[in-house]
Amino acid sequence: MSTIKEFLSDDHSRCDDLFAVMEDVASKSIESAKDAFNAFRDATERHFQMEERVMFLEFEQKTGMTQGPTAVMRHEHSQMRNLLSEMAKAIEEKNKDKFFGNSETLMILMQQHNMKEEQMLYTMAQQRLSAESDRIVDMMKSMVVEA
Amino acid sequence: MNFEGLSVDQAPPISVPLRFFLTAPLFGIIAGILIFINDVDVLMSRFSPQSIVVTHVMVIGFLSFVMFGALVQMLPVLAGVKIPKVKTIGNLSHLLIFLGLLMMLFGMLGNISKMTLVSSVLLGSGFLILIISMLIAFRGVVNVTASVRAMITSLSFALIITLIGTHLLSSHGLGKFSSHHLLFANIHSVWAIFGFAGILIIGVTFQVLPMFYVAPRFKRFCKQKVVWLITSGLVLWLALNIFLDSYSTIAKIWIALFFWAFSTTVFLKMRSRRRPVSDVTVWYWVSASIFMTLGTFAWVIDDFLGEKYIVLVSLLIGGGFILSIMQGMLYKIVPFLVWFHLNAKGYMSIPTMNDMINKKLAKAQFTLFIVSLVGFIFSAFVPWLLSVFAITFILSMAILEYNIILAVLVYVKTLKTKPDFDMSAFMQN
Repeated sequence: MSTIKEFLSDDHSRCDDLFAVMEDVASKSIESAKDAFNAFRDATERHFQMEERVMFLEFEQKTGMTQGPTAVMRHEHSQMRNLLSEMAKAIEEKNKDKFFGNSETLMILMQQHNMKEEQMLYTMAQQRLSAESDRIVDMMKSMVVEA
Repeated sequence: MNFEGLSVDQAPPISVPLRFFLTAPLFGIIAGILIFINDVDVLMSRFSPQSIVVTHVMVIGFLSFVMFGALVQMLPVLAGVKIPKVKTIGNLSHLLIFLGLLMMLFGMLGNISKMTLVSSVLLGSGFLILIISMLIAFRGVVNVTASVRAMITSLSFALIITLIGTHLLSSHGLGKFSSHHLLFANIHSVWAIFGFAGILIIGVTFQVLPMFYVAPRFKRFCKQKVVWLITSGLVLWLALNIFLDSYSTIAKIWIALFFWAFSTTVFLKMRSRRRPVSDVTVWYWVSASIFMTLGTFAWVIDDFLGEKYIVLVSLLIGGGFILSIMQGMLYKIVPFLVWFHLNAKGYMSIPTMNDMINKKLAKAQFTLFIVSLVGFIFSAFVPWLLSVFAITFILSMAILEYNIILAVLVYVKTLKTKPDFDMSAFMQN
């Protein structure tokens, strides 16, 4: 089974691919981008929740750090959720400029967020939680996304 | 386990990187003016004071400012480490390098040897403070990736070229040149271009291309070995230069081969990137890979021509490759920093990144830059053209500065006119 770090890093790549598909569809016609956008948003939301409701909790419990790196990551998740809702609005308004303005911002925010996670947080988590790695990955896989 | 030094939290204050980014195009303009007022003959000679000054106004004033500004910003993200007292260190070294470079310019062109001597002290200390602080910060790295290794290698080269550069410049100030002056100048320039800038760009590219453009990932072999292979090539080149100069071409081919492979890889990866969006930053990546391919070949061929065209080689590599990438990066990093810092302060309705920079002007800037670069190369053979392309170059740098200022003004205006925790999103229009 993959480690926490591998599992979540691979999920980043999966979200990146969906992001690229979404942009590709939207660049051709913003009207038809809704499905591709939803696919990307759902995957991203699932990733956020796997962290917030499973991995971060385990990490915080183990290390006692609740105001540390996980707090920063949660804050960035909320920034990204805001951008995602702006993009949803842009699709409703059929406003291509607004959509790509927000998607570009989201892309950079998301990638620097991912770098920080892959470079530091996942590495720290894997070190601290290695004994429970399989259980945590299983929990993330079987987690049901909350609305 | 010790988590100290690990920083997943926010970046350094925005004023630190912006200071570096705002200064860079100004030196670009100064370099353009110096090219305008000088003749081709003077600039084509690598060791004339004029060409030394123009080169350093560009490489220190533009390239190193953008690279160090970006490093200060990206170290917490890419490596997870914080530079100690980043605001003080960043601002102090910026000031020292800024003043040092101006004094080098006036000292060398005005033949004021004392000023040149002081400039060597200012530049040397400015760079050393910054480089050593970063190397100290790297001691806290927990996860040593290929990019981290490349950054440490690159900064180690930076340390050496700073020491050599300080020695070379102080020799000009003192008017005393050692018998190894030319050898040191060669090491200084080759290690600066390939060891510092080249390896830094390669290391960051491993991360940036797959992430920001959803391009295919770099092969494991490439990530793990290229930096090592280039470093060994640079050390071999040094050894051959000292002991067996007639064989140094072998090391040159070795180094050039890997940079050529790298630029071809970048070109192919940009072509097969998954993101369809094509903006000026994509154009800069593509132009960088093309110019670097030409540059590596020119560098090796020039060796067989007795280094007659070395200035053209540095135009291709320094201007076409390094400068292209730095300009492309500025267009991404500056608007993002503005957005990121405003958002972190609680402002909700901020213009998107795309609204912060004038895209049409950015495209015009790119075109002017490429025209100038190609024009400079032609000017080596048709001298009167040089002043024409100096003007297009100045224009391109002025537009770049204007575009960066536009983004910074968004930051300044938002801070001035809107209260914290903007509520406009909740109000009816």
